[in-house]
Amino acid sequence: MSLYAEHMVSVFLPHLFVGMVVNFKIAAIALVIGLALGAPLARARLGGRMASAVAAALIGLMRAAPTFVVMFFLFNIIARDATLFGYSIALSGVMTVALSLVPYAAAYVADNGVEALRHLRSGAPLAALLFLPNVTRSYFVLVMSSSAGAAIGVGEGIAVILREAERLPSPSDKFILFAIGIACFGIALQAGFALVNLVKRRLGHLVTRTGESVS
Amino acid sequence: MLLPICILLKSARQKILSDLRFARGLMRLRVLLAALGLLAGLFTAITSQAQQDTTPDAALARLLAEARAAAAAPGGCSKPGIDRLVRILCDKQMRVSVRENYPLFGTREGATRKGYDVDVAQAIARRLAITIEFSRVTPANRIALLAEDRIDLTIATMGHNTQRDGQARFIRPHYYQSQTVLVGPRALAVTDWRDIAGRTICVTIGNGSNAQIVSHGARLMLFDDSGALPERLRDETCTLAAQDDSFFAFHFTDPAFALRQSEKFGFSQVPWGMAVARSGSDRLAAALDLISQIFHRDGVFLDIARTNRIATGFLEAQRDVWQRAACNTAKGNADAACVLPALDTALQATPFAASVTAFERWAEKHTGISLALPMFKTAPAWSLFKAGIVNSLILIAGALAATLGFALLLGAALGSRHRLLRWTTRALTVTMQSSPVVLTLVIGAAIAQTFFAYSSAVALCAAILALGLTNGSNAAQAIAEAMQTLRAERVPMPGNAGLFSAAVSRSATQIVSFLINATKGTPIASFIGAPELLSALTDITAFASGRATTYSLLLIYYLVVVAIVVHLCGKLRAYLEQRQATP
Repeated sequence: MSLYAEHMVSVFLPHLFVGMVVNFKIAAIALVIGLALGAPLARARLGGRMASAVAAALIGLMRAAPTFVVMFFLFNIIARDATLFGYSIALSGVMTVALSLVPYAAAYVADNGVEALRHLRSGAPLAALLFLPNVTRSYFVLVMSSSAGAAIGVGEGIAVILREAERLPSPSDKFILFAIGIACFGIALQAGFALVNLVKRRLGHLVTRTGESVS
Repeated sequence: MLLPICILLKSARQKILSDLRFARGLMRLRVLLAALGLLAGLFTAITSQAQQDTTPDAALARLLAEARAAAAAPGGCSKPGIDRLVRILCDKQMRVSVRENYPLFGTREGATRKGYDVDVAQAIARRLAITIEFSRVTPANRIALLAEDRIDLTIATMGHNTQRDGQARFIRPHYYQSQTVLVGPRALAVTDWRDIAGRTICVTIGNGSNAQIVSHGARLMLFDDSGALPERLRDETCTLAAQDDSFFAFHFTDPAFALRQSEKFGFSQVPWGMAVARSGSDRLAAALDLISQIFHRDGVFLDIARTNRIATGFLEAQRDVWQRAACNTAKGNADAACVLPALDTALQATPFAASVTAFERWAEKHTGISLALPMFKTAPAWSLFKAGIVNSLILIAGALAATLGFALLLGAALGSRHRLLRWTTRALTVTMQSSPVVLTLVIGAAIAQTFFAYSSAVALCAAILALGLTNGSNAAQAIAEAMQTLRAERVPMPGNAGLFSAAVSRSATQIVSFLINATKGTPIASFIGAPELLSALTDITAFASGRATTYSLLLIYYLVVVAIVVHLCGKLRAYLEQRQATP
């Protein structure tokens, strides 16, 4: 094994996996907050006219917010020593990225939540359960989107790849490195989507067996 | 009884004696007068020589003598509006502000202060035969404290620029000079500006050299505090960081840091000035000008620098300057051939800068909202802002066109009956879906740079293609799936073109969704140095104030742009769906 290959296996890949864990962590935080915000919005969307209009406007606004701009907005607006009632509200890099993904996550949860609630109200609880694989799908989308954190110095997977690439003098070596990075992220993503599809298929079979209609 | 002859002889002798005494007295008088004359001549000569002595030492002696006389005069110390030099001599104490967290220049451990600035202050105090009352100062308040008369002198790593000239009286000659240095891993081959295009450089907000870095095609990662930079270099968050060499000097004393990092190159030299208040400090400023001049000439600054282990190149050059006869005069510190000019940092104002300032004041007065609109006030910021808007619109239009183009192209290939074409395209779409968009952009930029030299246009094109491929491949999959369903439904179609057209209509919602996604993704192009609005505003806030307003406006801008795209895409979807419904 060449010296570089050894470095890749013993140093780079462990660092990349540690970085990817950060991506998963960011996505998890964003999704949890997204669920907390999106669920009441979905309920409000199916509520009275006024509540529905307000919720629709909020969901539309969150859907339109570009993650990268929101991240820079949070990164630059909240001072590193900001406090509220004596408590520090300064955001770490990980939290900044996670919060920047919240508008997308909340809008996605609200959209799918509305769908699920409609199924529930129409007496199709299994169809409503499709909400779960859809949310899981959004989790993997969030994992991929969390790579934006590299721009503000968060040590996630892409930042690890880019740091390693800086060290490599030849473009061909860099492209091999990028391919390894895509493979690592790709395996995680495709495995996630395969899981989502499996759950969806199982639910589909259940729906067919119980005779529920999924519209 | 005396004989008459004897009487005559006695009388003659007395006369002779009397004449002799007169002659001696006359002689003594002449000697005395001569001595007095000599003394007067000597005094005149000395006084005249003193008045003609043009050395800074003599000028300083005269200035101090006058100030001491003013201080010693009855009521001299209690007179209102006395010059700070007189007051300092009255109090026998000078209030000097220094930094407490700037290693090698101004640090404090308990009651002990250390550093070049501290030692310079003490050397000045010895020269004036006074004591010092030190106080802490930060870059944010060092000029304000002078204006408020809470300190007499600040020696606080302060760069002398034309902007600050209007706020404080800087002592010349300058007591030190720093430059911005680019620091990065030793193995990284960066030797000049050509090597930094397209790279990310960590900087602190407000650093005067940020505009220069931006002009060479680098993108900035901003930090509030310079203290974060060495740590970010260590943990490799930053590959390159730019900051004063005086700041990095301390970190290079750490062997571990020095082993991994090196100075790549320096630029943007800034002379450092001690400063006093602009009013009521004329004599103090004049005295400090002369002291600074003498300290350079005699190598006092140089010795202090060596004691504190800081770079001495500038001080050695200054010692040579101030030892030259032409500069070693009382007026040398005002001679443009001897002193360094202040760094010219004044940015050209826009024709409407005054109106913008008036609007900011109006907004604050009537709404309480403190707006700062630096992008409209200076010509470079305004130019960056305009270019940012135009480039971001080009990027959005390009990303939309590329997304649609790739969606149709890859969709057709994915829905093709040719297995090889289908599987090749499938591999491409899976790869694009598996690559985080930031990585796709970086790969796009790297491919572009293997064919073309880096430029803003190349970065824009690379970003358009990367965003188009990422979103287009997803939309293409939707088109291909729609084709499959149409085939499965065995809907009669007038040839392959008809099937494809129907599939596009059927997948309209997905296509529109990825078009919107492409629009939302355009700011990420700033990551590879595409000069769009986010990139432009980051550059503007790097050398101007008003981050809160700037990023709020940026967010509003993108929300509005995305809303417009959503509206237009809604029309496109309606058209496609209507087409599908039409038999």
